[in-house]
Amino acid sequence: MSNKHITIFHGPQHPGITGNMSVELDLIGETIQKATTHVGYLHRGFEKLVERRTVIQAFTIVCRICVPEPDPNEANFAMAVEELAGLEVTPRAEYIRVMVLELSRLAAQFLWMAGQSGSIGLYAVGQWAIADRDLILDLFEELTGARVYHMYIYPGGVRRDLPEGFLGRVSTLLNYMKKRLKEYDDVFINNASFKNRAIGVGVISQEEAIANGYVGQVLRACGVEADVRKDAPYLVYESLDFKVPTQTAGDVYARALVRRAEMDQSVHILEQVVKMMPEGEVMIKMPTHRKFKLPKDDTWVKVESARGEFAYYMAGDGSEKIRRMQVRGPSLVHAYTLLESLLVGAELSDVALIMNSLGICPPEIER
Amino acid sequence: MFSEIKNRFATDDVEVKRKGLYKVVVKHERLFALIVMLKEMYDYKTLNTITCTDWIEEGHFALTYIMTTLKRNETFMLQTMILREEAHTKSLSYLFKQAQIMERDLHEMYGIKFEGNENLKELSLENWVHTPPLRREFDTLEFVNNHLTFRDGRDDNIDTKAESKRLRAIKKAEKEAAKKAKESKKAEDVQ
Repeated sequence: MSNKHITIFHGPQHPGITGNMSVELDLIGETIQKATTHVGYLHRGFEKLVERRTVIQAFTIVCRICVPEPDPNEANFAMAVEELAGLEVTPRAEYIRVMVLELSRLAAQFLWMAGQSGSIGLYAVGQWAIADRDLILDLFEELTGARVYHMYIYPGGVRRDLPEGFLGRVSTLLNYMKKRLKEYDDVFINNASFKNRAIGVGVISQEEAIANGYVGQVLRACGVEADVRKDAPYLVYESLDFKVPTQTAGDVYARALVRRAEMDQSVHILEQVVKMMPEGEVMIKMPTHRKFKLPKDDTWVKVESARGEFAYYMAGDGSEKIRRMQVRGPSLVHAYTLLESLLVGAELSDVALIMNSLGICPPEIER
Repeated sequence: MFSEIKNRFATDDVEVKRKGLYKVVVKHERLFALIVMLKEMYDYKTLNTITCTDWIEEGHFALTYIMTTLKRNETFMLQTMILREEAHTKSLSYLFKQAQIMERDLHEMYGIKFEGNENLKELSLENWVHTPPLRREFDTLEFVNNHLTFRDGRDDNIDTKAESKRLRAIKKAEKEAAKKAKESKKAEDVQ
């Protein structure tokens, strides 16, 4: 192997990248000396766009901030608007929101599984995962009319009630998932190829994770039991029984184990939601619905997305437009502060593996 | 803790937004000492975000630093005002590593200089020489009209008001023509 120092770009057109971003790598041989993250391939200016729109017009674009996981954006947007305006949603709407968020979490974890397995060449797992994710998207299509961008969690509740027999179809899917997820353990999680590649790679310490504001599986795989659903419960999570899985190794494999265990927890939560779903209205009557005004005030709301804490800062100014909305997902800090340091000393072949384990969604950086 | 903040940093009362979410507005010159106190004495070890709101009418930016303690699951919003003109403040990157990228983001979007931050290079934009886009005076529509050209064959460049007026006129003419045809047919039938 030559010791010549070379610079290459990993992405934005690369199957191992998690979206529209690139990492500039300085290499000696195959060992990374320096990594620099670059974004800017998908800047759509959502935070600026919402300043020109009414609250209800802004609602239609927030789900597009993160493609693999649009629902936490909808939930945050709705919760921030409701908090500023002093609106209270009905119990049925809250349960339905939890159901949507957990189905969305499961779908996002399947997508992660496809990416993570693909990053080391286990393509069959990816095909299984995409097919199983599609079963969840079928339910979303029936419920919301859309497979990916649902525009369903609306300020004041949810856009429409459950179709007849919908909960039964969710139960059928959950029964299937309980059997199916075990098969993923055999072909992916316990697969020697994956273990050999993932154990001891991309290790993060607990102190570093807390100090630098890392979230989600990155934090939980270092032994920190942090989950917004438990720590600052929203909707009806307080009345639901679930665990926050953790690991201590802090490497790629530990993060995979946490994600896999979280899929079981999501199924468990969904089973409870199906049983406990109350009757009632799904949408409150909103005052001046189309020209709805937010008072001059600000707030910070957060939910636990499939990739960690996902938060919105929102400020109103007394008009019908939002003065400021800042989206703070895990990606900005994970793609810059974390990835740039974690890749130093790693091998070129591990870049996609490490990146996939961090839950980076570039569209959310360029919001 | 709340009374200590109020007395030591001469702030108004700490506002309890909801359970576990607090907010205080603090003078710019006292902000960093308050951040250090919260971090060192009250375990607010995590900086979640730094955000900026442009209050152009009042001539200032509201900078909000959001910090969390995982031990008690509490979040503090520390807000301070800085002048919009030649906006600048100190960098927090010596205290929190992640502040570096958050400040770089705000520098690009609002043009705020963070003294002590060594990398304030462009983040999402490329060769940007115009007003920082999240400042209120930056008009998205005007920018698009002045700097971008529409591709031929796309409907984007149609003046929608004029177009709907034209379509309404066509529809009206068709309706009137149909009415006339009906009337003349009726007259012929009578004859």
